Amino acid sequence: MNLLESVRVALEGIMASKLRSFLTTLGIVIGIAAVIAVVAIGQGGRAVLMSEMEKIGTNIFAIYVDWRSEKPLTGREFDLSDVAVIKDMVPGITHLSPHNQIMWDIRGSKEKIRARITGVSSDYAYIRKFNLKEGRFFTEEDDAGKRRVAVLDEELAKQVFGRSQALGSKVTLGDTPFLVTGIIARGESALGFSETPGVYIPIEVWQVMFNGQVQMLEGSAVSKDKVDEVTGQAVKILERRHRDSGKYASESMEQQMQAANKITGIMTMVIGAIAGISLFVGGIGVMNIMLVSVTERTREIGIRMALGARRRDILTQFLIEAVILCLLGGVIGMALGAGGACLIAGLANWPPLVSWWTALLAFAFSASIGMIFGILPANKASRLNPIEALRRD
Amino acid sequence: MIKVRNLGKVYRAGAHPVVALEGVDLEVRPGEFVAIMGPSGSGKSTLMNLLGCLDIPTSGTYHLDGVEVSGMGDTELARLRNRKIGFVFQTFNLLPRMNALRNVEQPMIYAGVAPRERAGRAAAALTRVGLGDRMQHRPSELSGGQVQRVSIARALVNNPAVILADEPTGNLDTRSGGEIMALFQELNSGGTTIVLVTHEREIALHSTRIVHFRDGRLTGDEPVENPRDAGKYLSIEPPADLSRGCAPGGGADAL
Repeated sequence: MNLLESVRVALEGIMASKLRSFLTTLGIVIGIAAVIAVVAIGQGGRAVLMSEMEKIGTNIFAIYVDWRSEKPLTGREFDLSDVAVIKDMVPGITHLSPHNQIMWDIRGSKEKIRARITGVSSDYAYIRKFNLKEGRFFTEEDDAGKRRVAVLDEELAKQVFGRSQALGSKVTLGDTPFLVTGIIARGESALGFSETPGVYIPIEVWQVMFNGQVQMLEGSAVSKDKVDEVTGQAVKILERRHRDSGKYASESMEQQMQAANKITGIMTMVIGAIAGISLFVGGIGVMNIMLVSVTERTREIGIRMALGARRRDILTQFLIEAVILCLLGGVIGMALGAGGACLIAGLANWPPLVSWWTALLAFAFSASIGMIFGILPANKASRLNPIEALRRD
Repeated sequence: MIKVRNLGKVYRAGAHPVVALEGVDLEVRPGEFVAIMGPSGSGKSTLMNLLGCLDIPTSGTYHLDGVEVSGMGDTELARLRNRKIGFVFQTFNLLPRMNALRNVEQPMIYAGVAPRERAGRAAAALTRVGLGDRMQHRPSELSGGQVQRVSIARALVNNPAVILADEPTGNLDTRSGGEIMALFQELNSGGTTIVLVTHEREIALHSTRIVHFRDGRLTGDEPVENPRDAGKYLSIEPPADLSRGCAPGGGADAL
């Protein structure tokens, strides 16, 4: 029996009872739709996350005291001279800045709020690729002169100054007045990430105001491939200078991206697997109805056998019918899933990614469900005794 | 054409084997029109199943068109049914969802005939049985006699060695039954070998030879000196059908 004729007979059978065929394959429709939607949303989410992180910079890193280390802390794990030495000795590091943070009161012309006060060097603007809305970031001269200058981010400036002019005004940290020299433009974030509003001041001023420690170092490498290498070198230098090994740890954006990638991948897989279970259930539904169909069509099978159908012909005919049912379900499910993904992603404001391989996989998957769950009914049909089958009403 | 020697069939139903057929010797020559008669339980259905390669005998031998059938596997039997045998059933056994043309095409699909040739041959076979203008009708849209003629067209379409008809007039009124017998006679006069099972002597008398069965054994074999002519039933048919379906040799060349 040729394939085309089997397909034709199967389609006629499906069209003859449209509602029943649709209900039979509904499990497949829902399963495929769920898998497609979940994978599309997951992929889209991951892509957005990655682009966010890339915007921040894939070549940046931080070196800090390893909290897992059980060695006693001295408070002198870093000092300012480390920065210059490391920059000098590791050519792969383009910028390096000390990085101290504390929550403190800040008062502008309008309001006093608690904010993040960060002490950094002038390099920091290059590491984080700050985009200045007004004014400038502080310079090496500001660093060296321990000038009381502050750079506010847009959000904080709005909070403490309201509508009045922030640039050039005085802002008070604790009791110390600072001159506002720059406003950092707020970055656009599709995911809606927002850091707590903050103000940046020269590190040495920060040390005078709070304490003499350096909490951690932040830097950027010439490229993202060099990050691991240069952080390794920097850590070695620190261990040598402070005669203190096993205390320093580093982290790079690259590592974080890989971790995020892995997490989103695992989540997509887990949810996809749950959706896959519904496909399995759908397959059982198809098998069930196909078994009923074999019983109902016993006489047809008997007639076909009398006309010369071999057992193999009957087997393929029913198998093809199951596969076509599942493929129809798969196609409908794919459309629904892609539509659903677009809808949800539209609400969440990130682009869904329905990749061609997901579609292909879903197609192949629904076909194989048809095969797997169709084989039992098809086999049952092909094993009928023609005489008994012909006698059946 | 058909050569059966010492044919027997024993069914194992429960503890006691049931002898359905025993020691049957029968020969049907090409071009014969044989009627098999017997009451129910006489073994005539079992014989038809064996002759039709739907079942295998438990003893004896069966040669069909020079081929030894006993001992063949399922696949070979299916091939034989497809190429050598045309079935006509009491209950017609057409596929209800398909029109007449596609019903007649079915045996050719299993024979691997190309689609275009299939359609042509099916149309010719339907024309030959007088249904040239009913090809697109489904079985439910045809009368009983017309449905049976579709199934005869289906039986003919692969040019089988023999047509096996099992009570072909059993579900038809006298006139339609007569038309079917007339069609069989016409086909037989064109050289088609026909084996027909019936329990009505009236029907059997249309054949050229009657074989009697009782209790699983062949009990009689009589030639019919003057077979009844079913042609009288055709006289009340519309003339158009008469010329198309029953003119001597009509459509035979196309097959």
